[in-house]
Amino acid sequence: MADEEETNEYRWESGYEKTWEAIKEDDDGLLESNVAEIVARAKRKRAALKATGAIQLGMMRHLFVVIDASECMFLQDLKPTRFLCVLKLLELFVHEFFDLNPISQLGILTTKVKRCVEVAALAGNQKKHIEALQQMKDTSCEGEPSLQNSLERAMNGLKNMPAHSSREVLVLFGSLTTCDPGDIQKTIKSLKENNIRVSIIGLAAEVRICREIAKRTGGTYNVLLDDHHLKELILNQVQPPAVAGSMEASLVKMGFPGGKTGSGDGASDSAADHAPAYCLCHIENETSCLMGNNSGYNCPQCGSRYCELPVECKQCGLTLVSAPHLARSYHHLFPIKPFIERTEVPEMTHCFACAKPFGELDPNVYECENCKQIVCLDCDLFIRETLHTCPGCASDPITAQMKTN
Amino acid sequence: MEDKEERIETPLVAIVIDATPAKKFASQAIIDNGSTMMNRIFDALIGFGNAHLMQGSHNKLAVIACNSKSTKFLYPSENGDSKSYHNRPGQYDMFAKVDSDIRHGLSELILKDSIDHDSTTSDSLLGGAMARALCHIHKIQRELSLSHQLKPRILVVSGSSDSALQYMTFMNVFFTAQKENVVIDCCMMDSDSGLLQQGCDITGGQYLRIPTVVGLLEYLLWVFLPGPSCRSKIVLPPPTKVDYRAACFCHHKLVDIGWVCSVCLSIFCKFSIICTTCNTEFKLNRPAIVPSKPKKRPRME
Amino acid sequence: MSVQQRTLDCKDLHSYLKTLPAAVLDRLYNHPATCLAVFRELPELSRIYIMRILFVDQAVPKAIMGSWVSPNSARELEDIVKLLTELRVWQEVEMQGGLKGWLLNPTFRRNLKGALLGGGNEWSMKPNTDADPKARGIAVLDEYAMGRWECVLHFMVGSHQHEAISSDALQILQHAGLMKKEPGDNQLSITKDGFQFLLMDTSAQVWYFLLQYLDTANSRNLDLIDCLGFLFQLSFSTLGQDYSTDSMNDGLQKFLQHLREFGLVYQRKRKDGRFYPTRLALDIAAGPKKSMLNSLNASSQATGYIVVETNYRVYAYTDSSLQVALIALFCELIYRFPNLVVGIITRESVREALKRGITADQIVSFLRQHAHSECYKEPPVLPSTIADQIKLWAIERDRFLYKDGVLYNQFDSQADFEILRNYAQERGLLVWHTLNGRKMVVTKEGHDEVRKFWKRHSRNGSM
Repeated sequence: MADEEETNEYRWESGYEKTWEAIKEDDDGLLESNVAEIVARAKRKRAALKATGAIQLGMMRHLFVVIDASECMFLQDLKPTRFLCVLKLLELFVHEFFDLNPISQLGILTTKVKRCVEVAALAGNQKKHIEALQQMKDTSCEGEPSLQNSLERAMNGLKNMPAHSSREVLVLFGSLTTCDPGDIQKTIKSLKENNIRVSIIGLAAEVRICREIAKRTGGTYNVLLDDHHLKELILNQVQPPAVAGSMEASLVKMGFPGGKTGSGDGASDSAADHAPAYCLCHIENETSCLMGNNSGYNCPQCGSRYCELPVECKQCGLTLVSAPHLARSYHHLFPIKPFIERTEVPEMTHCFACAKPFGELDPNVYECENCKQIVCLDCDLFIRETLHTCPGCASDPITAQMKTN
Repeated sequence: MEDKEERIETPLVAIVIDATPAKKFASQAIIDNGSTMMNRIFDALIGFGNAHLMQGSHNKLAVIACNSKSTKFLYPSENGDSKSYHNRPGQYDMFAKVDSDIRHGLSELILKDSIDHDSTTSDSLLGGAMARALCHIHKIQRELSLSHQLKPRILVVSGSSDSALQYMTFMNVFFTAQKENVVIDCCMMDSDSGLLQQGCDITGGQYLRIPTVVGLLEYLLWVFLPGPSCRSKIVLPPPTKVDYRAACFCHHKLVDIGWVCSVCLSIFCKFSIICTTCNTEFKLNRPAIVPSKPKKRPRME
Repeated sequence: MSVQQRTLDCKDLHSYLKTLPAAVLDRLYNHPATCLAVFRELPELSRIYIMRILFVDQAVPKAIMGSWVSPNSARELEDIVKLLTELRVWQEVEMQGGLKGWLLNPTFRRNLKGALLGGGNEWSMKPNTDADPKARGIAVLDEYAMGRWECVLHFMVGSHQHEAISSDALQILQHAGLMKKEPGDNQLSITKDGFQFLLMDTSAQVWYFLLQYLDTANSRNLDLIDCLGFLFQLSFSTLGQDYSTDSMNDGLQKFLQHLREFGLVYQRKRKDGRFYPTRLALDIAAGPKKSMLNSLNASSQATGYIVVETNYRVYAYTDSSLQVALIALFCELIYRFPNLVVGIITRESVREALKRGITADQIVSFLRQHAHSECYKEPPVLPSTIADQIKLWAIERDRFLYKDGVLYNQFDSQADFEILRNYAQERGLLVWHTLNGRKMVVTKEGHDEVRKFWKRHSRNGSM
């Protein structure tokens, strides 16, 4: 991304774009229908770009978020303060992150007074992270940040993570300076060796060293324009990144707790059914988690009980997930082929997907290559952006089965 | 001081009918006073559809049927306005139209299926029908004026068990429904479906397997007619425990412990050296289990 | 003296039905359309209850019905029971073994079931079997309906550019108290109620108007039940479909002519033998809040046309003189263009409206109802500052608290004054007092007590 920006000429150096020429009046002298079409076209284009992305994605992510908590975070250019604004957006980020990356792990670090502190350890439980973020609201911001210390700390945490996972650091950096104990170039080098990708979001102005770190480690570097832009930048990090060249792949053993056991299903009927209904996630706390006998999930390997998924079994280390957790990411892997735009309306008078008759307003229809069904523009966008399944293919006995094979 | 500006609620029910068990019911003996089981089910579905429309003038209905060969919009009908329906005395016009549309469409679909003696019995195309229902809902939502608020849900009436082949379609449908705030309800006859159970659980809908087909209408009216907002007020059958086990990609069978490809998250029931989905080669020399956390606790007994 | 606002009492369907005698109600349920209309207006939970017992032919014990709702909705169930009993939809009956149970009104059950599945009483309105050679499109019907209705409204606001309305309509307007003849003046003039009426949304206006019409139905030799039944059938008819008048009796024919005048039905010629219901008629049973008129597509006039900005400016995209007149009720108009009127809401203009008897809520809901569709894209539709300010201006008029009282003055000494004042104050009878001139006001109720005390005191003092 960084490279791309540098090769491009600046906006003012590029040719004169006559953007208004694309807008034409329709028969009634109105612009509305025309504008709507342009917007729809732009959407189609964007969706098409997305669809051609890399298939190999780093689905299992280990990510450290580093929050700058130095003096400058008390500035009020973001409301109410930089610090509070960032914390609030991160809450949203944590939620979205685990929604899209169900089997990934997240940790939170802060840096202030030239040090780096771990706020939340690398773990897969979003509740704890959100709690930690909420508690941080009362802490003070002071001193100078240290980029090198934070990166070293994150690297120590990530170094030992399995090679098949994507190791990432996201730094939210408000300061324009950093106070480092040694040569940061060495740190960058070892980050690179450990295959750790560092992305940085600057809250003030562009800093050269930040750009260099991001560029060398394969991450992104962005500086915000305003709080909306910041939100967009942070949420951009939710999408799983494409696989870095040297990442190893492996098969990971996982458990799928079958829910209520002993429902006459022989396979899952084990001794664990008769274990007392304590869950292991709350056993450390004073507040015991009272569960009915038919709630909770048993680890299929050792039988320990947990009250929510996903979780890593504390007994045997097996990652416990439910099938929908994994399925959430499948549409990245099986993207549907873009539909072909057709101008002439053939004998079909209805959109196949939504059963709406084709009107005069939308002359273009879209055809699926596999099942030859015709859909309207709205459905085309909806199918591509949200549904990720062609209703036509799923309604045909032959193509419906091809899908998973 | 400021009072809320209320938007008019517009409930929409999309009924997805699985017509594959039709063959089974059609062959069943005539029960009491000359009506066949098929007729009973027809009447129950139409009665439910009309009962929903009867609840309010803004209520909307869509009916989609599917079998193992195709899916089909029954209402609003694909052939546009057919004026061929005949009014029964006393019946409200609109209900008569729904009645005849569903009856015609469904019998057409079933007849076509029974004529076509294809020996390959494949699974019902429920996923496709649900996907079409979602597209329809999305469209209605877009066209609705801004002062209205759509309250969409999908009711699946099915009698066939899971088809692992459509797993992806189902999952995509469920997540889309969740995102679009569409509640998926499910009324199962005869057999259970683990997948639909998951779907109902994810979207906050009601899953019910009815013991007898004879009482179908009663179950539909009591459990599925009230909208989600009203359900907390009435006593409903207790929720069933959902089986969240996964089906492996290689043999399509449910697994307790499986192997997951770290790149594409495909599930396999056995260890292999290459992922058949994304063609990634796996390293054999390293332990495949994620190293557990250093702090291990003694097992509680 | 009291300055309480009197708001126009527009009953909804249920409160209207509750005013009818039981025998009339029972006969009313003979029409499937009425049952359907009554059913739709019920709260959701009671609809579910009715659906559940619709196919049960015998009474259902109370205990069983009670077990259908979750315990925390038990209160709601009580309300429902009360409502349904009042509407005579169900009755309490004694079952075998002394159990109390509820039984659905058999006529209601038969006709509701009929409407749902067929087999109940016939609808008297039937679609014409042969197609109309000069069939009317929906757009024509809409235009006709709004035209006729606005004619009535125009008459009320007194813009004379339109034709006069019939004596029947005049009678109803007078009966409803929307217009009245000033003594010594031959012209009808609009009343306070009339202003409020103008600001209601169209479907509410039609419903209110029809209620008033039905009140006078008997004096016109019309059968109330037939008329109501017919109205509800109209409301369930299909827009754009023509219906035959063949099966209608004379009374209904007459009723139809009246409806035609107000734009509820369209008929080309009196003897045509067919008529088209319009959107106004379709809206009747929908209730005031759920009007379909608001959901019309952009083609119709009924979509919103008002934009209100936070600087109190009102932009109304309209060329209808009626709509301009309505806005002028509470706005100061500044500019007028062929398709746009710009006004400003001021304290004076709102006070002027309030003096006419229009309430703040009516102004606010009027602005909201007719808000331009663009306003819906960024809620709130009406800036909350404007809504609040209009309400504040209304409250402002209620700053005076009127209380009856008795004035005491001309005290001889400061001591006397203080003694009496303290006495009244301790007992909470004092309304107001001032040392300057030694005056105090005591409540009317307390006057006797204070006077007695004063007499005792002055007697003691003189001794």
